Amino acid sequence: MSLDRRNLQILANHCAAAADAMAFTLMRTAHSTFVKETEDFSCTLVTPEGKAFASPRHFGAPWYSGIDYGPVLRMIDDYEEGDICATNDPYSGYVCTHSPDIHIWKPVFHEGRIACFVVGHIHNTDVGGAVPASLSRTLTEIEQEGIRIPPLKLVRRGVPNREVMDILRINVRMPDQNHGDLMAQIASVNIGERRVHEIIARFGYPAFASGIEQILDYAEEQARRIIRDIPDGEYFFADYADEDSEGGNPCRMALTVRVRGDEVELDYTGSDPQLASSLNMPTGGEARHPIVLVGLTYVLYTLNPLLLLNAGTLRPARAVLPRGTIVNAEPGAAVGMRSLTCMMTQIVTFGAFLQAVPDKLATTSPGGNAILNVRTSGRDGRTVMASLGPVGGGGGGTPRHDGPNGAGGAQAFLKNTPVEINEAEVPIRILRYGLERDSAGPGQYRGGLAAVMEFQVFAPGTVVTARNRNRSVFSSWGACGGRAGHTSRFEKNPGTPGVLSLGNTDIVKCDPGDVVRVIGPGAGGYGDPFTRAPGAVLTDVKRGFVSVEAAARDYGVAIVDGAVEGPATAALRAGHTARQGFDYGARRDAFEAVWSRARYDELTTVLARVPVQWRHYLKGEFFKAVAAGTHAALGERAQMRRLAEDMLKKHGLDMPLASAAE
Amino acid sequence: MALRVGVDVGGSFTDFAVLDDADGSLTTLKVFSRPDAPGQEIVEGMRQLASRHGIQAADVGYFTHGTTVGINTVIQRNGLKLALFTTRHFEDVLELARLKMAAYHNLFSRRPDPLIPRERVFGIEERVDAEGAVLTPLDEASVAEAVRGAIASGAEGVLVAFLHAWRNPAHEEAAEALIRRLAPGLPVFRSGAIWPIIREYERTMTAAISGHVQPRVALYLDAFEDRLRELGVGCGLRITKSNGGVMGAAQARAECVQMLLSGTASGVIGAAFVAEAAGLPRIMSLDIGGTSADVAVIVDGQPEYGSGEVIGDFQIHIPSVSVTSIGQGGGSIASVDEFGVLKVGPESAGSLPGPACYGRGGERPTITDAVAVSGLIGHAGLGYGAVTLDLARARAAVGGIASQLSIPVEQAAGEIIELAVSGMYTDTSALVSRFGIDVRDFSLLAFGGAGPMLACFLARELNMASVVVPPAPGVLSAMGGLIADLRNDFIRIVYATLAPSVAPRLAEALEGMRAQALRWLHEEQGFAGEAVLSLAAEMRYRGQSHEIPVPLELAAIADIPAIIRAFHDRHRAMFGHADEKAPVQLITLRLVVSGATPKPQLRPCPPAEGPAEPDRMVPVYLDGAHTEAALYRREALRAGHGFLGPAIIAQPDCTTCVPAGFTVRVDHFGNLIISVPEKH
Repeated sequence: MSLDRRNLQILANHCAAAADAMAFTLMRTAHSTFVKETEDFSCTLVTPEGKAFASPRHFGAPWYSGIDYGPVLRMIDDYEEGDICATNDPYSGYVCTHSPDIHIWKPVFHEGRIACFVVGHIHNTDVGGAVPASLSRTLTEIEQEGIRIPPLKLVRRGVPNREVMDILRINVRMPDQNHGDLMAQIASVNIGERRVHEIIARFGYPAFASGIEQILDYAEEQARRIIRDIPDGEYFFADYADEDSEGGNPCRMALTVRVRGDEVELDYTGSDPQLASSLNMPTGGEARHPIVLVGLTYVLYTLNPLLLLNAGTLRPARAVLPRGTIVNAEPGAAVGMRSLTCMMTQIVTFGAFLQAVPDKLATTSPGGNAILNVRTSGRDGRTVMASLGPVGGGGGGTPRHDGPNGAGGAQAFLKNTPVEINEAEVPIRILRYGLERDSAGPGQYRGGLAAVMEFQVFAPGTVVTARNRNRSVFSSWGACGGRAGHTSRFEKNPGTPGVLSLGNTDIVKCDPGDVVRVIGPGAGGYGDPFTRAPGAVLTDVKRGFVSVEAAARDYGVAIVDGAVEGPATAALRAGHTARQGFDYGARRDAFEAVWSRARYDELTTVLARVPVQWRHYLKGEFFKAVAAGTHAALGERAQMRRLAEDMLKKHGLDMPLASAAE
Repeated sequence: MALRVGVDVGGSFTDFAVLDDADGSLTTLKVFSRPDAPGQEIVEGMRQLASRHGIQAADVGYFTHGTTVGINTVIQRNGLKLALFTTRHFEDVLELARLKMAAYHNLFSRRPDPLIPRERVFGIEERVDAEGAVLTPLDEASVAEAVRGAIASGAEGVLVAFLHAWRNPAHEEAAEALIRRLAPGLPVFRSGAIWPIIREYERTMTAAISGHVQPRVALYLDAFEDRLRELGVGCGLRITKSNGGVMGAAQARAECVQMLLSGTASGVIGAAFVAEAAGLPRIMSLDIGGTSADVAVIVDGQPEYGSGEVIGDFQIHIPSVSVTSIGQGGGSIASVDEFGVLKVGPESAGSLPGPACYGRGGERPTITDAVAVSGLIGHAGLGYGAVTLDLARARAAVGGIASQLSIPVEQAAGEIIELAVSGMYTDTSALVSRFGIDVRDFSLLAFGGAGPMLACFLARELNMASVVVPPAPGVLSAMGGLIADLRNDFIRIVYATLAPSVAPRLAEALEGMRAQALRWLHEEQGFAGEAVLSLAAEMRYRGQSHEIPVPLELAAIADIPAIIRAFHDRHRAMFGHADEKAPVQLITLRLVVSGATPKPQLRPCPPAEGPAEPDRMVPVYLDGAHTEAALYRREALRAGHGFLGPAIIAQPDCTTCVPAGFTVRVDHFGNLIISVPEKH
């Protein structure tokens, strides 16, 4: 049949069905719990040039809809029918972004020509390396993060490459699981190939070949239409992860969004230098790398949920990713925990766009969902390693309604594990699982409450990890007059004299009887909380979401004996100065009183001029010197320049600083 | 006792199927549903059965009924206002749900408001562990306090749902007894009594829905039974169930959750019966109405079962015939977006105002209007003459699309149909992938008012072998209810890693279920025939998060190695691999008891005495071209008749559309067996 613009949706439907078929095959046959519980996988149809044009409609990681496989496709010289290629190296083509993600791709031939590729990845539970599961914030180089397979043919003309599989096998902790996952991926691309053949037979090759380009064009036009409605301008936003390494300094993500007509630029200049920890993101500086544009995808889709998500969606966008920073690490840097950093890129994207279209977007979800894992043993001596599920914050408040509790916003894809399953599987006792009162940022529409989980362990040598934790120092901000949420907490034996507050750490050793409590970070509110309808505040009090004290303090609503007291409420609300703009919370306000945007500009400029290996170290030195008050009398810009001169001289890093001072 | 009656009350129409046990003859009837006066459609239907077919109420010996009253109550949330009593410190179970939201790319996504708001949730001091041991005894004072709070909050009933009630229901039972003592007359429900699965959210949610709909369902059934008595029907009322079986009205009142999907499930049972009679081992049923389109997979007469079926904003987790929605049916609205791309749905004109061509106030173009413009329907009355088709209105509605796209109105209609079918194809394809089946040797059995209209198009996209249209596609749900067996499910959560030491527990669990099952069938349902018992275990490798059902022999319940082997084999069959060394967990034992009801001897269709004669040729727009199709009247077709597409077969309850390249044959029972042309 002939295909043109008006009946394009028919081809799009068939392509989505093919991607769905790949995803179902993967989900039915994979072993990794990442596939089954957190759906950390992708299945995609990409053009011969590598541009994603179809993805599953209801599952899979929400990060990869606009991926460009081009750079990695081009690393294989020639393709033949029946080939299947793979890589998990974050620095080969920058499609894979940390080593547990094994990406594979298969060319689909039609009469000797490549009609498209079917591609996908699974997050494997372990690919070897220094620590079980291959991921830890403490790792400093990529070699510690497990075995890496460069782009190669895993299957050549239908014949599997046993040598590669054997090498993989002896380098990982759970080889059977990896093997099962790899077989699932191969089954998935084979189904994808068959379905593409059916689509070509159905529509004819010329219609297919031009149709997939038109699908990209259509998404691009939709995206441009959305961007055109966003006021032109430059919007800056920064936020901080609590630590840039174990016990380290805050980690800054800075973004300038420039909207011009129907195009948008996301400039990450000002973000922290490449780190000696695994928070780096490997993007190769690709202007449309999907993991620095995840936030943009959310924004565009939220502004118009009819938007088709594919590589065309990202065409009007361009990212600026300075080399040797957390958003564009040089080869060799550890990248395992880049998901925490990626979340920060989403948060600053939301903050920037909220300035442009404050009535059309939500306050951010906090990020920093602790993925709780426990290693303990039963009375039968059997060691048990298990994930207890995510414990995090809710969704941010919106211009229309409160944020959802427990999870939401950019974390709405997460799934929890039932208490009954955890207790049946793992020899622990869960003492509490629910929502934490007063954790949400107040607002006309408040943020979602944080989840709380408290559990007791019964075996010596029990280790609890809370990977991905964040927001124990800096709150999740409120917008348009809404207030910031509460920070997250991680404690051992709370409410006892021996209580241990674990700060921003993500691991704790326990003895029999110890109780661990994790409270996620609350999401920020939207709009001035003193304008919230008193009835809504009363409902929150009745639901146990807000205390009577917080109702009075944060909302100016007096509640007495389960009812709003009118005159007292009027008195509380009288004389209230209307709140506007962002609320970052006291900790960040205090931090930025020292580490201002100007000071950061100086720091960024200097660090950009020294070799990558020095950057994280020198950043630490700057923080020490500023804390010690060295040259403080000079004023912040001059102080930073003086400190820079001292440091460069001391380490013999003779860099031309004159231009940096401009 | 000669007559058996099945009645299915849908949103627009109420269908009757009457089976005469004496000669196996089937009589069908359709009347308008009366949402304004529930029960009145029964009176009207019985009146017409008497006047038209001489069927008297006094001769009815068996009466089954499927209804949407339960599901409507959930959708409208106008059932019982419940309070929820949970284990203390776990009060947010319904707020948190399983966290994940469907539209996760949208920053405005929310979970639906819980069916029981948090201010009516009360924590009770008590705790049982996963082994069923009591850690904290039930604190009666906290129950008393919760009862006071619940009444003060305006609750009209209480659901008790404690942690690990699947393992040890003692605390739930004690709390229920206490509440009944403290607040006589207040309805009380227990999660463990309604469906005792592990996973607290799913168990609590299922029980909450059951309790929420209970009073409305009970009232409805009371009124329905009164009506039957007034009409002079002497037999008891049986209600069709989500699991494809039937149960007595008393059980339906107590276990409302069992009947929520009764209509859709009995349609599938009807489809399975027709397919088996026609000798078709593998079918997919396609039920398209004005507001819904559903498919189900049936192999060797057995539908696929599942749990987690969607009811309004929620899911229920009881065993149900697995039915998947593939769209909003004939009322889906077509539109053109600002980029000139044609779209169909998700908006629907529903049954009111309905398609423009129904002339009931609808003005926007629907799939049904596109089919009308194409000349494929409207050659006879629709819905037994209840609807007259207004072609001018259809052309006006579709004409709007045509002018936006600058194409002729017929072409616009054709593209709307094609796009609608591709959307159904996409959702059906997902189901096919989920079950891991190959549909190329399946038949598509079409029913519902709009199923036969679109089935050939969908079967062609799916590359299926054939389409089957039974003689009375509009009343398959009513007939399904009529022939459904008495059927009930029983479960025991075992949750054990399989080892010889587990054998006594399995045997004990099975014995308990068997006794319960036989009591249900013979005593509660009064069934005198032979009980059929089938056993399955839901198992997984330790560490996996999903179980797969494995059929087991009742007699071999203690043979642990055989059970483990059966699991490995099943895993290999489904997924292509098995891990013989890995420990195997048995989570759930499930026993299904059924008592067979007599099935109709479908009467053969009289043989043809000459070639099929079309009524006339009608102009149609099909597959992108103007052409002529032969119009046949269904009642004139005889067994052995055969003809080629393009053809239209009109009958009072639906129209079958057959594009060029398809071949129609009328089988022994009068089913249309339509062969799909081979691709390429």
